[in-house]
Amino acid sequence: MNILPMTVPDTLEGAYVLSIVDFFLSIVIIWAISLVLYLFPFLNKLGNVTDESLKSGH
Amino acid sequence: MIEQLLGLLLSLVDQTGLRSITLGNIFMMIVGAVLIYLALAKKYEPFLLLGIGFACIVSNVPGSDLTAPGGLFFYAFRGIELVIIPPLIFLGVGAMTDFGPMISRPSLMILGAAAHAGIFIAIILAKMSGMFTITEAGAIGIIGGADGPMAIFVTMKLAPHLLPQIAVAAYSYMALMPLIQPPVMKLLTSKAERSIEMTQSRPVSRLEKIVFPFVIAIIVNLLLPPVAPLITMLMLGNMLREVLMVERLANTAANDLMNVITITLTVAVGSTMAADRFLTYKTLVILGLGLVAFIGGTASGVIGAKIMNLFRKEKINPLLGSAGIASVPIAARVAHVVALKENPYNFLIMHAMGPNLAGVFGTAISGGIMLALLGVK
Repeated sequence: MNILPMTVPDTLEGAYVLSIVDFFLSIVIIWAISLVLYLFPFLNKLGNVTDESLKSGH
Repeated sequence: MIEQLLGLLLSLVDQTGLRSITLGNIFMMIVGAVLIYLALAKKYEPFLLLGIGFACIVSNVPGSDLTAPGGLFFYAFRGIELVIIPPLIFLGVGAMTDFGPMISRPSLMILGAAAHAGIFIAIILAKMSGMFTITEAGAIGIIGGADGPMAIFVTMKLAPHLLPQIAVAAYSYMALMPLIQPPVMKLLTSKAERSIEMTQSRPVSRLEKIVFPFVIAIIVNLLLPPVAPLITMLMLGNMLREVLMVERLANTAANDLMNVITITLTVAVGSTMAADRFLTYKTLVILGLGLVAFIGGTASGVIGAKIMNLFRKEKINPLLGSAGIASVPIAARVAHVVALKENPYNFLIMHAMGPNLAGVFGTAISGGIMLALLGVK
């Protein structure tokens, strides 16, 4: 099935569609990024990087 | 002899701007002076308003070639037109910013999206006015993201002819946020809500801070290619900061380069405020819609935080929602100051930085989706 790319029409209805879809997707993407950030504490189980070791690394 | 002398004097006067100065020029010079007054007397974002105000005054002095091809202000503006300056600003912002508050409390990130309803209110109102196309309405709406470089970036893609008005509205309102936001915040919250103290966030390790820019750069390039140049540069600057090994590069990006770019940017924005281009009815409408977008964004952020409180055991201070509007760190500072007035021991600044930084991503994501929906790459 070929899905043709569509853009929002230049009408008031188009503005409503753009606003609702954009707002909803923004929330979903931000929420998805926050889910990724919830996993960040697990990185600390991989090891520890100290500021001193980085600063003395060059 | 006298006739010759008079003729000579007249031709000299002709070469000055005295004969072509208009009432519009004088009005815009007063506008520039007001911006400088706000910066100097009221201390509203002098780093932004001084350059904008000065360039606004100079650009309205007829006879000056600064804004004409060959003039320095003209080339400063070319940096904006060619979308070179906004990513460089983001590089500097990344090198200056500690994303720790956002990483430590991901639950507040959603406020960075909630505080962007103002964008969409402005889009709908712009379209309702019948004066703007959908792409112009989108560019006007992005003023509500309260993120200058992002507003410039999106406008250059959607409606480059509206750049002067949109850039001026975005930067002026950002500078005036300490005036715009507090009444909205107070209207929507009770004294008890504004006094809520936040619990301490967890410490964020160096490893997390180093991994963060790589993860975000990958996600944004993958999901939101239209705004990838800005966020990628933001993350590059942040990576330089967090690895601690290239302090010289991080300092250059955060200080020297940032200062040069700030001067260039503010001068470029101010130089677009020439009366003949700026003083139109559409400008007034755009400024009005921009203000509505800022107020709407502040309100939706606070309301978003209050909705979150309905589902949380540990309540958050709803003022944090207003910081989700981006404009780092101005919005976080406003939330902190408003909270401090209710409770002098309530230091909200670091807690507000989380949603504030999330707001940067919120604006970028909204802008990226908007560009994609409107078929602009």
